[in-house]
Amino acid sequence: MPARESLSGPGAPGNARMLHLTGIRKSYRIGPVETEVLRGVDFQAGAGDFVSIMGPSGSGKTTLMNIIGLLDRPTSGTYFLNGQDVSRMRDDRLSHMRNRHIGFVFQSFQLLPQLTALENICLPLVYRGARRPEMKRRAQAILERVGMNHRAGHRPDQLSGGQKQRIAIARALAGDPAVLLADEPTGALDTDTAADIMELLVETNRSHGVTILIITHDPAVARGCIRQVRIRDGRISESHSRNPPCGAVEGEGPVVETGAQARAAVQGAGGPNRGKWPE
Amino acid sequence: MARIASIVRANAREAVESLRKARLRTLLGLVGVMIGISSVIAMISLGEIAKAQARKEFEALGTDIMVLRKSHDQGSPGHPAGVLEWSHVERLSAEVDSIRLAAPRILGHGSFRYQGRKVGNESIQGVTETFARINQLSAASGRFISDLDVGRFFCVVGSGIAARMREAGAGTAVGELLEVNEHVFTVVGVLDFHQESYALPFQLMANESVFVPMSTAERVLASPEIDVVVTRFDTDAGHDAATDEVQAYLHGKDPGLDVDAVSARQLIAQMESQMRIFTLLLAAVGSISLVVGGIGIMNIMLVSVVERRREIGLRRAIGARRRDIQGQFLVESAILTTAGGLLGVLLGLLATYAICRFIGWEFSISMFSVMSGIATATFMGLLFGFQPARQAAKLNPIEALAGD
Repeated sequence: MPARESLSGPGAPGNARMLHLTGIRKSYRIGPVETEVLRGVDFQAGAGDFVSIMGPSGSGKTTLMNIIGLLDRPTSGTYFLNGQDVSRMRDDRLSHMRNRHIGFVFQSFQLLPQLTALENICLPLVYRGARRPEMKRRAQAILERVGMNHRAGHRPDQLSGGQKQRIAIARALAGDPAVLLADEPTGALDTDTAADIMELLVETNRSHGVTILIITHDPAVARGCIRQVRIRDGRISESHSRNPPCGAVEGEGPVVETGAQARAAVQGAGGPNRGKWPE
Repeated sequence: MARIASIVRANAREAVESLRKARLRTLLGLVGVMIGISSVIAMISLGEIAKAQARKEFEALGTDIMVLRKSHDQGSPGHPAGVLEWSHVERLSAEVDSIRLAAPRILGHGSFRYQGRKVGNESIQGVTETFARINQLSAASGRFISDLDVGRFFCVVGSGIAARMREAGAGTAVGELLEVNEHVFTVVGVLDFHQESYALPFQLMANESVFVPMSTAERVLASPEIDVVVTRFDTDAGHDAATDEVQAYLHGKDPGLDVDAVSARQLIAQMESQMRIFTLLLAAVGSISLVVGGIGIMNIMLVSVVERRREIGLRRAIGARRRDIQGQFLVESAILTTAGGLLGVLLGLLATYAICRFIGWEFSISMFSVMSGIATATFMGLLFGFQPARQAAKLNPIEALAGD
């Protein structure tokens, strides 16, 4: 598990090896019309990177996220995940890669209503063939990490939005993935709760070195991330990094080094941006 | 292997959960399968019980029973059909080694009056003393026809006729005078109620019959031909040997005479093959209801797949392979139909029990039908769950996650 210090080492964002996408194109054909959603995206992220992806709707950010998450295949281009070429893998193999290397966090939580919090967290381990006691032990430990151990036996409908998202994050982390993909993770939450969730994500990134990619509409959330990427018309239009160890601070807002600062960033922005939170 | 076991285990638990959640739908599915399985179970069980019942009757009758009757397909131009007469069979048991006992019967029709009141209108049977023994007829009062009654106008009446005579004031009926056609007979015995056996190739109708001495029947009946000879044969000699011997013997008496011999053993075999066809037919009817139940299951599973698109999408995202999803839905439909099958088996046995009580058969549980019922139900789940499960597995995870 790469520690925070390794950020400046070989696995650091500068020489990104975790995610390496080159010339990614994706087009969909609907009837006779072919629409190109991604028009040659080059993107890299290293171990422990913490990236926000912003862009207007229809810009292709969700498609990019689906491709990074191995739920979709690019029409052309190459994609290396953790050193493995995944662009031509068979479906079963992709399932395996998702299970081992990627954790998903969704705006709508996507918890299974019939399962308890603990059982939801166990799910990725089920597909790994873990034994029940081992699964429970691991899920319990992660539940504690997200501060939800008192809710282990609750079902999703007995939890608040923030609690659900914590469980969802715990589930994403249960398989000990290298990359965590979060699609509008705070989109369905109020400002305070959103700030809590951001704090949790930052802590997760800092203490466990998990690479995190967040799709967001919210500049405040983006400010909570170390690196910001903008996507427009199927291309990455802008990418700047505020890598704290390098001290390269630019733009507005404080440097985010801790979860508390991320929280402050989100909360501070909460007032003026409140109207932007999707209901 | 560990992975598959873990997934199956988790799937089974979750399947039960998700089935519990969709209560009404699960219930409807269960009812469909239950009805199908229970009808198959009831039908197979009844078939088996009927078979056992018939077998029991044969055994009560004795497996050494063999019935001789004139062949239907005899008599051709130039060869007049032979007639089976008393003189032909009189010494059958004495002269044919493999025949231990022989009881011929002359069958005629008659109407019976007691003191001017009609007490019956069925058959007059001319018999010998052995007839009662072979056919297990017992006297409630008085005695049966004796070989010493030659030519006498004595008769033994069945329980139905005796009952009507009693109604007309005859007391026990023994010693009373009974008018049979134009003749007056003295009643010397009354028979116990006799349960007609389905196992014999002829009808006995003992309860509604008047039994008279063979020699008397020859005198009073218009066409006194022997219709059957009930025999007990030596089973050590074998059915075929006994048949050959009897046929040769009768041929010697009258070259135009051909008889068919039907033994209990043959009848058992014949009846069992009939039962098999019957059971098969019933099972076919049952399978139709199973197909209907199965289509119900398929429908339920298809709805379930649509309703749980998000779940499918999520499972795919966190690492479920297509075949894991397919397995999950197959396990679910198999659990559903197996549960329905178990309930169906119970219901089917209950129905069988009720029918047996009603008919008066002895109820027994056929392990074969129980096992095949449950196995069929599980198989149904896999068969009818296959298409929905495939559909679930083929979903595109992105579209599934979007949920619509």
